[in-house]
Amino acid sequence: MSDTLTRNDPVPTTLFTADGVTIRLAPPMARFSLRARQGQALETLLGVKLPKKIGTVKGGIACLGPDEWLLRGAAGTAIPIGDGLPVAITDIGERSVCFTVEGPRAAQLLMSGCPLDLDRFAAGRAARTLFESVEIILIRHAADRFEVEVWRSFADWLWTALTKAASHGP
Amino acid sequence: MILIHCPYCDEKRPEIEFANAGQAHVVRPVDPSTYDDAQWEAFLFIRANPRGRHHERWRHIHGCGRFFNAVRDTVTDKFEATYKAGKPRR
Repeated sequence: MSDTLTRNDPVPTTLFTADGVTIRLAPPMARFSLRARQGQALETLLGVKLPKKIGTVKGGIACLGPDEWLLRGAAGTAIPIGDGLPVAITDIGERSVCFTVEGPRAAQLLMSGCPLDLDRFAAGRAARTLFESVEIILIRHAADRFEVEVWRSFADWLWTALTKAASHGP
Repeated sequence: MILIHCPYCDEKRPEIEFANAGQAHVVRPVDPSTYDDAQWEAFLFIRANPRGRHHERWRHIHGCGRFFNAVRDTVTDKFEATYKAGKPRR
């Protein structure tokens, strides 16, 4: 029996470069799905302020729905599970992978498959949406820097779609 | 592409993020044990199929995940209004 675990990344770990845009697989990170009807319970438990408006990020926590938040942190981050409290905290660290899309053409590239109007999607926004037919969580950190969270099983397809679209040029 | 206003996200989002979930305001039986076959048939299977203004449930499935109600014209596909689940019929 093997006593070592090998990480298999679904896409190349090397930086992809095209005209005006780079795409890179982000290193592994911790992700938690936070659910609660009353966000207050989560705030007390975790000692943080949650973003209230759906579609915004604050302190590494994205508000995805009226009772749903996504917490992302460095790999190995541990948080209390809120035993006995009216909250549901689930470790989803290995469910998805993250692509960092950077460069002056980043928004243009993402709009090739994402139906959101990224001209009106300012830095500090995050939303669950689609790229073509694959569900993604799109996070905008700056005008030219995005992160795309995608379920691991869709990562290979999305990587191909993004790199193909990027290599088509402006 | 049609933009649909999600009452939870409070912004207009593209149509493909949404899924239709049938007629809205179908009232569940208060005491199911008293329902006879005809009442069950009406509750489970009989739906309005209007030409024009229709109340529907929609779900922002590739967004916030919430169900909400919408008034849509079935001829023009125009959304007249959307409002949160549980709010009175418009």
